Amino acid sequence: MSDEQSGLVLKDVFRVFPGDVVAVSDVNLHVQNGEYVVFLGPSGCGKTTTLRMIGGHDDPSSGTITIDGELMNGVAPAQRPITTVFQHYALFPHKSVLQNVAFGLKMQGVDKAEREAQAKAAIDLVGLTKMMDRKPRELSGGQQQRVALARVLVTRPKAILLDEPLGDLDRLLQMKMRVELRALQRELGITFIHVTHNQEEALSMADRIVVMGDAVIQQVGTPEELARHPRNEFVAKFMGDNNVFHGTVSGANGGNVVIDTPHGKVEVTGSGTAGQPGSMAIRANAVKVSTDAVPAVNGVKVRLDFAEYLGDSVKLHLDLDGQPFMAKVPEERYTEIRAYEGKDVTASWAIEDGHLLEQ
Amino acid sequence: MSSDDAKHAALEEAKREVEEAESLTGGSAVAVHATTGPRRTPLVTLAWVAPGTIWLLLFLIAPLVMIVLVSVWQKTPVGFEPFAFTTEGYTKLFQTPVYLDTLKDTIIRALVVTGLCILIGYPIAYFLARGVKSIRYQIALFVFVLAPFWVAYVVRIVAWLPVLGRQGVINYFLVEVIGVRAEPIDALLYSNFAIILALVQLYVLFMVTPIFFQLATLDNSAIEAARDLGATPAKVFREVILPLSLPGVLIGCIFVFVLVMGEFATVRLIGGGTIQSVGTLVYDYYKLPDLPTAAAGATILVAVMTIGVAILLRFSKIREVV
Repeated sequence: MSDEQSGLVLKDVFRVFPGDVVAVSDVNLHVQNGEYVVFLGPSGCGKTTTLRMIGGHDDPSSGTITIDGELMNGVAPAQRPITTVFQHYALFPHKSVLQNVAFGLKMQGVDKAEREAQAKAAIDLVGLTKMMDRKPRELSGGQQQRVALARVLVTRPKAILLDEPLGDLDRLLQMKMRVELRALQRELGITFIHVTHNQEEALSMADRIVVMGDAVIQQVGTPEELARHPRNEFVAKFMGDNNVFHGTVSGANGGNVVIDTPHGKVEVTGSGTAGQPGSMAIRANAVKVSTDAVPAVNGVKVRLDFAEYLGDSVKLHLDLDGQPFMAKVPEERYTEIRAYEGKDVTASWAIEDGHLLEQ
Repeated sequence: MSSDDAKHAALEEAKREVEEAESLTGGSAVAVHATTGPRRTPLVTLAWVAPGTIWLLLFLIAPLVMIVLVSVWQKTPVGFEPFAFTTEGYTKLFQTPVYLDTLKDTIIRALVVTGLCILIGYPIAYFLARGVKSIRYQIALFVFVLAPFWVAYVVRIVAWLPVLGRQGVINYFLVEVIGVRAEPIDALLYSNFAIILALVQLYVLFMVTPIFFQLATLDNSAIEAARDLGATPAKVFREVILPLSLPGVLIGCIFVFVLVMGEFATVRLIGGGTIQSVGTLVYDYYKLPDLPTAAAGATILVAVMTIGVAILLRFSKIREVV
C-alpha cells in the first residue's frame, strides 16, 4: 500500500441537497492514519455533512471516499472501519454503562462473557469502572462523553469521528476533556476526526486543522500555520485576533508588496500586480502599541477604547477611524496602558509579521 | 425588570418546577443543581396546587368514598339506610356464582382486549411515527386515525349491529353473495366475539396515541448510533426502539385495561343482554334497587382495577426507562 492510499482520502467530494443547496463543494483531503484532525468552521459550513459522509450516514453526490485504499461510497456505516461519537452522545438510555459499551460487540455476535470482558477493559480505559452498572442519566456530562467514547473504542475502529464532542460540557470540563481526549488518542494511536466550531478547541487539540467555510475547505494546516498564516480573510477572521486591511496594490519594494489602504500604506512580504485589490492581516499580538509618531508604513493612529485584562495578557480594543482594531500586549503593561484609555496611540508592526491574504 | 431579567427568572422558575416534580416523584439520581433566585412562598405553591386538588377531591375521591360507604350500608326497599353498617352487599355478591364468574370474564375480556390493542395499535403507531417522514402527513394521518372519535360513543357501538347482525352485511355476504353458508351465523352478534371486536375498535386509539407519541419523540441519534455499531434493522427495533417505546405501551395498557374493566354500554348493546360484565351487573343491582350491593360490586371492580394497574407498574419499572 502506497502512502497516498493509506489513511482516509476524500477526493473531489461534493454534496448537493435537494433544492440545489450545495453543502459541501470540491473537498479534497488526505488524513494519515493516527492523525488528530479537526474540522473547524461556523455552523452551516459543511463540516458536519463532511463528517457524516465519512461515517456513512450520508452519501457524496459525487467524488470518492477511501479508507486505506478501499472505496467507501455506498458502504453502510456499520461496514466501515470507522465509528461515530454522536453529538449529545446518543447513549442508549435504557441500558447500563456496561450494556452500552458492549453493544457493538453484541451486534457483531461476540458471546456474552467475551464482550463483557472487552467492554470492561474499555470502561476501565476511560476510568468509569465504578459506574459500570449505572444508567446514562445517572452520569454527569463528562462521564456520558466517556461512555460514548468507550462504546466506539471497544469495536476497535481504524478511525473515530467526533461530532462536537465537547459542545455539551461546561467550560472547565471542556478544558479537562480536551487534554483527556488528546492523551487517549495518542495512547491508542488511531485516527480521530473531530468537528467543532470552537477555534480554541481546534488549536489546542489538532495535529491538523481543516477550516471550512461556505461549503469549501478554506485552509488546511497545523494549528501554528493557521494561527500565524491564515490564507484568506475568512480564515483570518474565523481564527480570531486578526486585523485585516483591504486596499489596492500600489507597487513592490524588494520582496514586498505595498498596498494603499484607506488607513495608510502597508507593506507585506509577497507579490502583487499594481492596481489589483490586495489584503493583508496582522495578528493582535504582533501589533506594537506606543506613543511614538505614526510611521509612514505599517502604522496607524488609533484610539484606545478599552483595555481588557485577560490574566496572561491585555487585549486592547482600539478604534481605527471608526472600525474595531485589536492588539494584545503583555500583562505587565496593564497599569501603564490603562492610562491611555480614551486617548490616541500609535499601533505599528514589523513587515515580516503581517501577511498577504489571498483574494 | 428588563425583558432579559424576566426571561431569566422564568427559566429559573421552570428549572425549579422540574426539580420539584423530580423530588416529588422519587426523583432521578441526576445531580440536582442548586438554583439561585427567589424561593416561592408556601402560599403561592398552595395556589398552584389548589385547583387540581379540589378537582380530584370533588370528582374522584368524594364519589369513591361515597361508593365505599354506600356499599356497607343497610339495604331498604327504596334505597339504603345510612350509617347502618353491614357487609350484606359483599356477602350477597360472593355467594352469587354469577358475580364471581362475571368478574372473572370481565378480567379475561379486559386482558384479551388489551392484548389485541397492543397487537393492532403498535404497528399503526409505529407506521405513523416512523414510517411517515413528512410531519404534515403524519399529523393528517393521525387526525384520520382519530376520526372514529368524531362520532358519539353509542353511535359507534350501534354501528356494529347492521354489520354483525343476522341480516347484517357479513352474513348477507356469506349467505347471499358467495354462498359459503346456508344459514346466517348467529354468533357474529350477541357473543363474546362481537363484544371484543367492538371493544377493540373503541379503545385501540387509547393504545395508538401514547405509543405514537413515545415513538415520535424517540431520540433518533440513538437509533443512528445503534446502526453505526452494526445493528441490523431487526436488532435496532429489538434493542433500542421497542424498549424505549415501552412506557407508551404501558400507558396504553393502563388506559385500555381500566376502560374495558369498567365497560357497560358496549357489553349491554352488543352482548344483547345475554352476556354480562361487572358493569352491567352493577347496573342491574342499581335498578332493583339494591344500591348497597351495586356499590359493593363497584368497589370490588375498582379494587381489581387498582391491583391490575399496580401489577403493570410494578413489572414495567416505567421510571427507569423514561
